[in-house]
Amino acid sequence: MSPVQPGVSTPDEAPETRSLAVRALASPVLRNKSALVALGVLGFFVFLAIAGPLLIDGDPKAKVGDVFEPPSREFPLGTDGGGASMVAMLIAGARVSLLIGFCAAAISALIGGTVGILSGFFGGKTDTALMRITDYFLVIPDVPLMIVIAALFGRSTWNIIVIIGIIYWTFTARLLRAQTKSVRERVYVQRARALGATNSRLVVRHVLPQVTPLLIANTVLLIAYAIFAETFITFLGLGDPSTISWGRLIQNAFIDDAIINNAWWAIIPPGLCVMFVVLACTIIGQSIEDALNPRLRTGHLSVRRFRVLPRAAQPEQPGS
Amino acid sequence: MRGADYVVKRVLFAIGTVFVAVTLNFVLFRAVSGDAVSALRCRQCTKEFKDFQRRELGLDKSKWEQYKIYLGDLAQGDMGRSLRTEEPVTSILWEPLSNTVPMVALGTFFAMLFGITTGVIAAWRRGTAADKGSLWGGLAFYSMPPQWLGLVIVLFIAGWLGLPTSGVKSPTLGILDDPSAIEVIVDRLEHMILPALTLGLVVFGEYTLIVRSAMLETLGEDYVLTSRAKGLSNWATVWKHGFRNAMLPVITLVALSLGFIIGGAITVEYVFSYPGIGLLIVEAIDQRDYTVLQAAFLLLTLSVIFFNLLADLLYFKLDPRVTE
Amino acid sequence: MTQPLLEVEDLNVWFDLPNGGQLHAVQGVSFAVPTGARLGMVGESGCGKTTTILALMGLLPPTASVSGRVLFDGVDVLEGGEETVAPYRWKDISMIFQGAMNAFDPVKRIGEQIVEPMELHGSASGREAAARVRELLETVGIPPERAKSYPHELSGGMRQRAAIAMALACSPRVLLADEPTTALDVMVQAQILELLMYLSNELGLALVFVTHDLPIVAQTCTHAAVMYAGKIVEQGPIDDLYHGARHPYTRLLWAATPDLESRDDVVSIPGVPPRLDVELRGCPFAARCDMTAERCTVERPELQVVGDGHVSACHFATTLEVVA
Repeated sequence: MSPVQPGVSTPDEAPETRSLAVRALASPVLRNKSALVALGVLGFFVFLAIAGPLLIDGDPKAKVGDVFEPPSREFPLGTDGGGASMVAMLIAGARVSLLIGFCAAAISALIGGTVGILSGFFGGKTDTALMRITDYFLVIPDVPLMIVIAALFGRSTWNIIVIIGIIYWTFTARLLRAQTKSVRERVYVQRARALGATNSRLVVRHVLPQVTPLLIANTVLLIAYAIFAETFITFLGLGDPSTISWGRLIQNAFIDDAIINNAWWAIIPPGLCVMFVVLACTIIGQSIEDALNPRLRTGHLSVRRFRVLPRAAQPEQPGS
Repeated sequence: MRGADYVVKRVLFAIGTVFVAVTLNFVLFRAVSGDAVSALRCRQCTKEFKDFQRRELGLDKSKWEQYKIYLGDLAQGDMGRSLRTEEPVTSILWEPLSNTVPMVALGTFFAMLFGITTGVIAAWRRGTAADKGSLWGGLAFYSMPPQWLGLVIVLFIAGWLGLPTSGVKSPTLGILDDPSAIEVIVDRLEHMILPALTLGLVVFGEYTLIVRSAMLETLGEDYVLTSRAKGLSNWATVWKHGFRNAMLPVITLVALSLGFIIGGAITVEYVFSYPGIGLLIVEAIDQRDYTVLQAAFLLLTLSVIFFNLLADLLYFKLDPRVTE
Repeated sequence: MTQPLLEVEDLNVWFDLPNGGQLHAVQGVSFAVPTGARLGMVGESGCGKTTTILALMGLLPPTASVSGRVLFDGVDVLEGGEETVAPYRWKDISMIFQGAMNAFDPVKRIGEQIVEPMELHGSASGREAAARVRELLETVGIPPERAKSYPHELSGGMRQRAAIAMALACSPRVLLADEPTTALDVMVQAQILELLMYLSNELGLALVFVTHDLPIVAQTCTHAAVMYAGKIVEQGPIDDLYHGARHPYTRLLWAATPDLESRDDVVSIPGVPPRLDVELRGCPFAARCDMTAERCTVERPELQVVGDGHVSACHFATTLEVVA
């Protein structure tokens, strides 16, 4: 599955101190209204995931009502094909799906980030070798890999996390490599190097602060893809049969013939949840990326035209 | 010929990747098959039986031997036999393939149609509601699991549009009399539309983003200003100068997103019971029919490599700046 | 006296700022360009010279508001905005841009792009157009076979010449040049300047030459207008400005030019130009001027006549010592 790639930024200024950089990072995101909403949505689901056990009494899979009961006051989203409360299932699903999402993204970021930074910083043979490895990983078809790992090591949540982590790190690696390369060439880094800074110092003090925001943006996007990938893996029958995830809930809609029963409440919510979380992460990640990469280019074409003012009328000038 | 060495390099790279893909395929599925035999549990599955199975599958030979045999068989077009039905895999793959290809092509067409349209609108009306709407729309659909979207379409739209939601042809066609070619085509199309539409909807969002950003980039270029200075209308400028330049990244994108399209095709065929390669794969996973899986994935990987090569060459042809 | 070919009266351009408010980029600019004359517009980056000439062709973005008159052969082309100015594009006035790096569409050949305006405005087509292209290329000193080249295949200097050829495609009477030699090396620069002078002398082409490089203007132009902070601060025949500059800014600009033969120190002008989004009191140059007086901070100087066709906007214009 191919995600939409954020671009690489090349700001010309010297580095700001760490706190300024963080604030610079946070400020456009916070100012951007849709990013704020997205943060809110994500926060809501994270809350559900964390507070899950407190919100659900007992086993979410337990049959507490009739099969495919429509929404009522007792069951705000009705029951599913097994008579369990949809709300309970969704909350339990949030826990698992988000866990998979965050962990897989973290693994990808870790591997990809390390490979990318090392590759970009050292260049030369290290770079070539690491990039070769990355290319080969890219060629591995993801679905067969999923099948093989599931067949060999069993279908567990942890395996799913590992699979997703392995598949996606290459994108992060490429991105970070390009960014690291551009940072390395910047004047202040060259200066530090001339002054005798060790490699580790250069990486930690100069490269990392410049590269971290992009890594964060990328990781947030990875969370989106991991959650999405989980639905696919579960769909293929390779998911963990003992856990409830949103992917599992969508599968249940198929297996339990929800369509025949016209049980829209068992079909629509899980997919919507996935959509909202994925959208939220995408927006947040994208807005961080936009904050790093302002593209202020004016277009030369527009449907609207420039305005001609009559001689007498001139726009008011703000007082000096 | 311009950049002949570029073409040669690209082709060689593709061939190299093919080898890597074939080998990887072999490694992955051999590992699984060996384990599959060990995992067999049934009354006859004694040690002797398992050994026999292993010999049958050639798993008792050394890895290197197996690899050579595999390559040799492949070169002759022999992809083994289905573990389940003993039929040669090549004959199993043929019909599903012929069903999937047109459906995916139609789906990609939809995706490009939606994507390019929304992308151009978004760039053209930058900052307005149309821009935001296009972006949000694309992103929203992109965030939906394809199987879920398919379900929703079946639930709400299929009946309303009167389109079939399963299979590749009507069971009643051809029973009473020979259907004309047109009737067959129309029937096939009817069955293809919903899965292709679902596929297109799930995929197009990426294209919207890229087209929009490419167009914005292009619209800010000096040659666009020059064009306007020459007296060309906005439309003429976009069409003659903006479009061609902005579309270049789209070509690479289509090739790159093939992986996603294939994944989407697998899910979509399942939802609509469309008997293509995707459905075959899902069933084979369920039945642990690894020979079929191995062959199917090899096929898919090869087509991805092929289309990537095609995109490279196409880009090369369209952009005169590419020489190296 | 015959009417000047191009006359600009009290041109003002405002740009809407994203946070509200406006930037007054061009403030009451007036000048006249007779046939065959070459007017150099000089000033620092951001002084409004580029915006001025873009306004002459109506190539302003929708965030711009314009007032004033632009008279071409006595007709106000700016009166109806886009509608009235569009017909003049390329046929009567054309333009070459800075650097010419991107003035050409990278995916089309040079010849095609030169023919484009000809076909658009109906001045030539087919074989006739191709012949004219060859003729134009020869005029600017490019071998005619290069018409088949792509822009990236030409050197910077040749690209700029090709851009000039393209600008002449419809035989305009006024050529606007925005920093045409800035991105080129000195030798090539000299050639381009020679070419422009030749075209002006031979074809009677009126030239408006925008640059920050005053010596170039001295070499090539018949008249000059010095701009600062959106206003013209001095204007007149080039000899007058060279031998008898009557504005401190002009004089500082001359002084800032390194002279190989002189022993004087190189002078630079400290400070930055003022903001254009608020209205200023007094002379815009007061903060950086070397002869500021009390009056300069309070009263804005208007353009006063200091010679035949020579005006300057300084309170001390008439009393400044003439320095050879």
